[in-house]
Amino acid sequence: MTPHQTRNILICSGKGGVGKTTLTANLGIALARQGVRTAVLDADFGLRNLDLLLGLENRIVFTAQEVLAGSCRLEQALVKHKQEPNLALLPAGNPRMLEWLKPEDMQAIVAMLAPSFDVVLIDCPAGIEDGFKNAVSAAQEAIVITTPEVSAVRDADRVIGLLNTHGIKPIQLVLNRVRPKMMANQEMLSVNDVTDILALPLLGLVVEDEQVIVSTNRGEPLTLGGSRSPAALAYSNVARRLQGEDVPLPDPAKMGRGLRAKLSRLIKTKIF
Amino acid sequence: MASQLLLATAASQPHRLSLAAAASATGSLVAEVGYALGALPPRGEWLSEELVLATGDWPLTVADLRELEPLLLRRGLRLVRVEAPAPEALVAAASLGVVTQLQRPGDGAGAAAHEPTAPTEPQGLGLTIHQGTLRSGDHLQVEGSVLLLGDVNPGARISAAGDVRVWGRLRGVAHAGCQGNHQARIVAMQLRPLQLRIAEAVARGPEDLPPRGYAEQALLVDGAIAIEPAEPIWGLPD
Repeated sequence: MTPHQTRNILICSGKGGVGKTTLTANLGIALARQGVRTAVLDADFGLRNLDLLLGLENRIVFTAQEVLAGSCRLEQALVKHKQEPNLALLPAGNPRMLEWLKPEDMQAIVAMLAPSFDVVLIDCPAGIEDGFKNAVSAAQEAIVITTPEVSAVRDADRVIGLLNTHGIKPIQLVLNRVRPKMMANQEMLSVNDVTDILALPLLGLVVEDEQVIVSTNRGEPLTLGGSRSPAALAYSNVARRLQGEDVPLPDPAKMGRGLRAKLSRLIKTKIF
Repeated sequence: MASQLLLATAASQPHRLSLAAAASATGSLVAEVGYALGALPPRGEWLSEELVLATGDWPLTVADLRELEPLLLRRGLRLVRVEAPAPEALVAAASLGVVTQLQRPGDGAGAAAHEPTAPTEPQGLGLTIHQGTLRSGDHLQVEGSVLLLGDVNPGARISAAGDVRVWGRLRGVAHAGCQGNHQARIVAMQLRPLQLRIAEAVARGPEDLPPRGYAEQALLVDGAIAIEPAEPIWGLPD
């Protein structure tokens, strides 16, 4: 048997509020449901909320801080998900950790997780400062998440450049909050516009879905209940593609089924 | 002067083939290389399998390189570097993954005949080839001219004392002649910059999309930056 290799995957975006934490939580659950032993590591020490999204806030006793200080064992700090035992969360410590945390500390945490997990998802903080650098140092591969907005794409581009200098490979892209109708009407950057600039393989397309907000507030990631909402399906597909399965990407043009979308597509079809 | 083949004297060294002036030959570049390699002693009597090709003033295209490949392979040789004065030749070689080096006038075939000229010119001398896309926040700065094999993304900057040539899409900020060279140009496969600067002049990029499939160049006309279709031949600044 080949030696067990843990994949440490960084989930980052540069810009805040594009869906890093939501993706981490949903992807974690989706992977766990597919039988992958998954740990989610909250590297956003300043503004932690991965525990909230997973609905595990009230179960936290110890955090990464105590583990690093040696005042508890790793197993004590890990919070197992109640419905998906394959998933565990290592909570972030208090925001003061930012002052002393070093890249080596992150590497140490990831090394401790390696023997008992197949995949470690690292939820990166927004920005490209120390918190980002700490998180990058612990990862080998990355998922960059962005939305079809110029500012988010610009920040993602910057982050990809930084990931490249850290030798992170492969880097894959998830495009979040896609509105097919607006794309069809060319009121929003298209999938092509985004991939054109970022030049990364597309790991997933997640459509704008109100269910995401509902599930976030409830602390039950969408992928948990086997929801049939489009976003839940998209997240599970991301998880499957991440494991090398060949799942075709949806065509956003076909998602906008309205007559207006069809007509405007017809008008805008370029003939050379 | 005929083409010169300098055999490697050590195993770690490549052979070096400097082509004669294109005007003095009758056949194609491939024929000329084939002819020059005829002087090669039988296999096993030489030390290296690597070959450096200095093309001189020959035009070199991707098609030429592809034709050369089997020719060299038959002789057990491998092309490791192309030296040429023309950027087109370097781009062709680089696009096939061959290491390239700018050949300055005075190098190569004629080097023995006259003293190599020292690079005394203040700017415009030398071409830096950079491979890879510049992403937002990146800033590539170059002493001479620069040839970028990749895109300049929005938010990225590229500046050179000489020309800026982008073998890709220019969507960021480009500054040619950043030390005051008014002759400097900016050339791109797709010119769609946020901002262009040549010497002290600054211009915003055009609002509308550029024509598809046509390379464009920006240069100073009466102190203002103008955009026009790129010349098919990119000359090196002299």
